[in-house]
Amino acid sequence: MKELVTRREYLIEQKKKKGRKVFGVFPAQYPKEILWAMNVLPVEIWDPPLTITHASEHLQPYICSVASLGLELIMQGKCELLDGFLFPHTCDSIQNLASIVHDYLGTQKPCYFFHHPTASATASARAFYREQLTGLIARLEEQLGPLDKSALEERVQQGQRIVRVLSELYDLRARGELDASNVEFYKIIRSGEYLHPDDFLPLLEDFLSSARGSGSSGKGVVLSGILPNPLEMLALLDELGVRVVQDDLLCCGRRLPASARSAHDPLQALTDSYFVMPPCTTKNSPMHARVNELLYKTEQSNARGVIFYIVKFCEPELFDVPQVSGELKRRGLATLVIDCEVNQNLTGQMVTRVEAFAEMIS
Amino acid sequence: MSLMKRFRYQFMKDLGASLIMHLSRHTRRSHARKPNPHFGPSLKNTRRLKQIMARHYFLSRYAEGAKPVAWVTSGAPVELLRAFDFYTFYPENHGALCGAQKVGPQICSVAEEYGYHRDLCSYARIDLGACFSGITPVGKLPKPDLLFASNNICQTVVYWYKVLAYHWNIPLIIFDTPYNFEKITEKEISYMVSQFKEMIPTLEEISGKEFDYERFLSIIRSAREASITWGKVLGTMKARPAPMTIFDAFGHLAPIVSLRGLPVALRYYQSLLLELEDRVEKGVGAIANEQRRLMWDNIAIWYKVRELSDIFARHGMNFVTATYTNAWVETVAQLDTDYPFESMAKAYSLVILNDNLNYRLELMERLIKEYQVDGLVIHSARSCKPYSVGQYDLKQLLRKRLGIPSVIIEADITDSRVYSEEQTRTRLEAFFEAMEH
Repeated sequence: MKELVTRREYLIEQKKKKGRKVFGVFPAQYPKEILWAMNVLPVEIWDPPLTITHASEHLQPYICSVASLGLELIMQGKCELLDGFLFPHTCDSIQNLASIVHDYLGTQKPCYFFHHPTASATASARAFYREQLTGLIARLEEQLGPLDKSALEERVQQGQRIVRVLSELYDLRARGELDASNVEFYKIIRSGEYLHPDDFLPLLEDFLSSARGSGSSGKGVVLSGILPNPLEMLALLDELGVRVVQDDLLCCGRRLPASARSAHDPLQALTDSYFVMPPCTTKNSPMHARVNELLYKTEQSNARGVIFYIVKFCEPELFDVPQVSGELKRRGLATLVIDCEVNQNLTGQMVTRVEAFAEMIS
Repeated sequence: MSLMKRFRYQFMKDLGASLIMHLSRHTRRSHARKPNPHFGPSLKNTRRLKQIMARHYFLSRYAEGAKPVAWVTSGAPVELLRAFDFYTFYPENHGALCGAQKVGPQICSVAEEYGYHRDLCSYARIDLGACFSGITPVGKLPKPDLLFASNNICQTVVYWYKVLAYHWNIPLIIFDTPYNFEKITEKEISYMVSQFKEMIPTLEEISGKEFDYERFLSIIRSAREASITWGKVLGTMKARPAPMTIFDAFGHLAPIVSLRGLPVALRYYQSLLLELEDRVEKGVGAIANEQRRLMWDNIAIWYKVRELSDIFARHGMNFVTATYTNAWVETVAQLDTDYPFESMAKAYSLVILNDNLNYRLELMERLIKEYQVDGLVIHSARSCKPYSVGQYDLKQLLRKRLGIPSVIIEADITDSRVYSEEQTRTRLEAFFEAMEH
């Protein structure tokens, strides 16, 4: 597998050599194609490897570590490379964090907020989503100059190609035809959180051709939650011969539309794509839709169980878990619920629970 | 809806409820409290408030099957539902009541046994625990036909109502109010208006009634009047001494939350206002010796209201305003029968918790000045993230801009298991000391 450069080195290169602006983007759903078309590289802030020392001046201890680490990154002065921030409306904590950064931190960097409709896919929701896209473009144009419409068309098409390759990778993995460990697979998938599509797409294509083949025949599970952090969890599953054959993770599978939507109008294509994303807790998808999605993923990948891997204090996930996992259990699937802080080392108790789960599904 | 149940409900509404409650008052032992020397005389209207709310909960038992029943979040535009004659029930109000009666931990623990984490909102855990077990201090909760939630107060209520929708297999209508990161836009208003119009056919189907526009307008008018009158009630606390404490207001808030748009709410606040104005005229204060005036931020700590009220009164400190009680004044008064849908969209989108922190800072500054506030008590509530995230910044900024001392109490709205007596006492002692200098 091609060795990846560090994120910082990569960002410096993007700015210096490609003349790109770089934006820090908080989780989770946003129209990255618009940023690419405006020569902006979105770098997603999910789980920077930091210890919280400053963020607690602003956030209570009961706020999740994704929000706290994002703020810590800014407060430790590690965002000096960034030219702006984008906050999608993901949850209450990120909503208020956006206001803290915008109104009080004095970062002197432009902050943008992106609201996506959280009710169902009604006509008003679709119309509003499209208006949010045009509104975001208008606000970005004030900072970055006019958007080139043909560039947007190209980036939307490029985004669709990425979706197709990612979907193929997931399909191969579900069928056991991808020769990559859990750790390798998710390192590649998550590199899309900061790589420019001109680099991410070839990386995915290389990976697809090099890793295609007979994968591990280990027991399959579906991973559900926000993000696969820490990597030690994936490594432990590798060690136990448990393969993550599908995921329902906010930072990965839940952002992969059911199909790449083509339309002559790029904004229409982006709107269509948003409304065919898999069900998600942060978009208030009904419980039955989440249950059906997980059942579909387990059946399609022959998974023997689902691991709910929850970030501590994450309300959208914690509210769904009892009913969704209960329903899966009633259908005969094994489930395991683990909640932990981002970047937290695996405790002995967690390891034991995962080992017991692996034994149970074998 | 069953004819028999409708008859029974109507009978209870017209006659039975009053009769039963009257008898119950006579058979119940009264526990007269010793007069507390730190407080002024009790408000006479408190008794009336208890009757109104007891009647509301009592009748809810008979509403099931007789009327369409909706469970509604406190910030949802209930005026639209009232036009279809829904009996509305407010789980948040029920949660507060459970908190005040100190049964929060017991009912929360039922939800926890069902897998709902202790880190989740305790109003939600109380509600889910009550649904799963039937345990409630009000006797019985009416099973809903519809759930109606708006994310203008938090996203949490929507996650919570999704659980209820799945549990009962009933429809959930979500009113999505875009967060005001900056100023509200015409496009956002238009999106919210479109949502109202999309809801109407669903509401017609569930209630079996056609949308009555004229009735809707009269409800809008009533909600607006009640909100304005509630604003005047709170406004009496600008007087020195203030005729009421914010701890009283936490209780008197119930009708504007739960009965907004019904004539009973308006009548109640008119009566309360008269009593308070009379007290202002006669110089009767809520506490015996009002030396300092305070502001409260966030929802009440329901299981500690009486205790905290007493502690502060002993120090000659009275809470004269709160961002929480003010929430039903700020915007509902903007309802306008000439533009009912547009004004309703604005009124419900511009509430404190759907606005950026600068808006909240300005609002707090205004309240501090108008009510001549000397100090600020901030409740950092684990259950309420949109209210709590940003409080540390607000505390610092208000200190810097107005020189106002403040204290943060880390607690929860109804789950007393996370309340630390010792930590609170230490913090309050330091605060009292700062206030004396």
